[in-house]
Amino acid sequence: MAILSNRTSERSAEVDPADPGRRGRRRRRGIGLSRDVIGALLAVPAVVLFAAFAVYPMLRVFYLSVFDYNLTSDPEFVGLANFAFLATDSRFHEALGQTGFYVLGTYGPALILALVLAQALHTKTRGMGLVRLLYFVPVAMSWVAVSVIWRVVLHPDGLLNQALSIDVNWLTSSSTARWGLVIMSVWKEMGFFLILFLAGLQAISPDLHEAASLDGAGSFRRFWHLTLPLLRPVTAVCAVMAVIRGFQAFSPQVVLTGGSFETEVINLFVYKTAFENARMGRASAVAVLMFGALLLLTLIQLRAFRRRDR
Amino acid sequence: MSTLTRRHLVGSIALLAVVSALAACGNNGAGTADGKVTLTFWSHTHPPMVELNKKLVAEYEKQHTNVKVQYETIPNDQFGTKMLTSLSNGSGPDIINMDDSALRGEYLPKKLLAPIDPEGFGAKSVDEIRAKYNEGTLDGASADGQLYGVPSEFNATAFVINTKHFKDAGLDPAKPPATWDDVTTYGKKLVAAGHEQAFSFNYLHSGWYTQQLQTLLNQTGGEIADPKTLKEAVTSPEAVKALQIWAKLATGPDKVHDPNASSRDATSPFSDLATGRQSMAVVYPWSMEQIRQSNPDTYKELQVVPLPQVDPAKPVNRWYAYYWAVNVASKQQPEAWKFISFMADNHERWIADVDFIQPVKGWETSAAAKELPALDVWAGAYANGAFDTVVPHYAEIQDAVTEMVNDAVFNGVAPEEAAKKAADQIQRSLDS
Repeated sequence: MAILSNRTSERSAEVDPADPGRRGRRRRRGIGLSRDVIGALLAVPAVVLFAAFAVYPMLRVFYLSVFDYNLTSDPEFVGLANFAFLATDSRFHEALGQTGFYVLGTYGPALILALVLAQALHTKTRGMGLVRLLYFVPVAMSWVAVSVIWRVVLHPDGLLNQALSIDVNWLTSSSTARWGLVIMSVWKEMGFFLILFLAGLQAISPDLHEAASLDGAGSFRRFWHLTLPLLRPVTAVCAVMAVIRGFQAFSPQVVLTGGSFETEVINLFVYKTAFENARMGRASAVAVLMFGALLLLTLIQLRAFRRRDR
Repeated sequence: MSTLTRRHLVGSIALLAVVSALAACGNNGAGTADGKVTLTFWSHTHPPMVELNKKLVAEYEKQHTNVKVQYETIPNDQFGTKMLTSLSNGSGPDIINMDDSALRGEYLPKKLLAPIDPEGFGAKSVDEIRAKYNEGTLDGASADGQLYGVPSEFNATAFVINTKHFKDAGLDPAKPPATWDDVTTYGKKLVAAGHEQAFSFNYLHSGWYTQQLQTLLNQTGGEIADPKTLKEAVTSPEAVKALQIWAKLATGPDKVHDPNASSRDATSPFSDLATGRQSMAVVYPWSMEQIRQSNPDTYKELQVVPLPQVDPAKPVNRWYAYYWAVNVASKQQPEAWKFISFMADNHERWIADVDFIQPVKGWETSAAAKELPALDVWAGAYANGAFDTVVPHYAEIQDAVTEMVNDAVFNGVAPEEAAKKAADQIQRSLDS
């Protein structure tokens, strides 16, 4: 408290004797200012760490995207050559396509299923809490653990083939491996959106549904004209998060296929380009492009949902 | 406490934190003023090797009380990436243990390794060290006339058959397959006898795909790329022939295994053979010891025989080796070379405990080698081998090779077409 009392005593000398209330105001302002300074000082380590480990690497990625850099020799400025290479690189294009397929294939069904299930689970039946918890369990598990489990499920002699009495080589064919990943990811991710939709449903007043029922609206009309519009803010969040989570996909592809059989998504492409092939500049260029694409997609989504809100 | 004092305190704490962090980052196992030395040593995971490494590290520390060796293992599928990345940014271990393809493809061109220090070996010159080893066997760690390491294991390829399976199929284990066509013929009989995975290559990661294709390429006279012109060569008739041999064993009417059912666990590369699911395999000396330790019952049924050939009259084998080498950024290179010298001096124990052959002259006459099962087969395999051809951006090219094999084996693409597709990617890598 020494710092506060020192400053207060210094300021007390400036107090106008004709207005004693002013003295108190000044004292409060003085204390507030000191607290701000201390608060700022306390935040310095966190800001420094954030700058060092988040802001600087990000800026460095932008910087490296116009260099040829193999980790061991000095970066060589190449202008937009990395971007030009990517524009004609079939492997990059394939990775973009696989990422798009994975995002749409996984998160489209996951969102729809989550919404439908949220409707079904939005009751006060005994034991419903446990059912909701079970749907959330895959979300709490790590991607690696889930992938290891599904490697067994998707084996030619695995659970899925046996349950469906089919003979599909899920993970060793370019025509099916991406579907295997999508099936697993829908299972893993649905619970995340289910919880968000359930929270959204619980925020809708039951009176509205009751009024609509009295007006003769059936369950589908109530869902379509009442529930869905009221869930729009939650749906917007879910859609944005789905795209971001989809573009971040990496672990399941690494564990299940290693990126083979046309499952190399963009993050895996970046990882291999940077760390296996030591082409840091090119990998940075991909990261910059993906940053731009994600930012644009997010803005489009938010704008679309905002427009509908009006 | 005055404002100034508090400011000093906050500043001092921040400075201390930064200095501590920097000190931790920059330690790199450097020696200390009291003469204590800490060496860091990284290897991949091969259980018998890891066990012996630990034993030898303990013995070395006992003999050199001022030295502490921090031994770390890295899972095989992350080994290359982690080692290369850490050495590239100067934070890697003092001592590395790495295969010749990676050394020649990445580490030596990027000057990440220190040239060998003869003093560490108690030798007067590098030539004195070279003279201890069979000719050509140090080429995997050589560049521009300099030597950068000594072999911890030197492998040639052989073949193994499950004698019980052979008997089940009415085949004579004394007459193993001499050609790849024989493998198909024998394999079909084994499949008919209920051994459906008669022969399979290992579908693990890109390194495995490439080394197995190289084994066939050596025999057909093909290459993945020409190291002189830096032009792709997978579309050459010789290279396509190698891919055709592979694809024929896995697809079509003559297939002798289902590649979809093959184990893909890189931490246990020969599990199908070891568990008795598979009847024949391409093997290396170390793989037999691994099977002996993990599955002793199956091991008793296995018999090592010469590698089948495209042309048995002109047998060609494949060499690959791992070398102990020293990080060029290491601050204690003399101590690191002394440790490596100690490890290399125990070559009889490497044979006896791990089946690792180090190609010192006369290795085959040592007492330990005489105990090695199928010594004559291995000695023959070492006599006609060659290292893989390595070109720049080899890791990227290995990815293209993997896709090529997958297309031909799993996706039903004709080998010629699969090679053409891979050729574009390989050439782009070589050109950029």
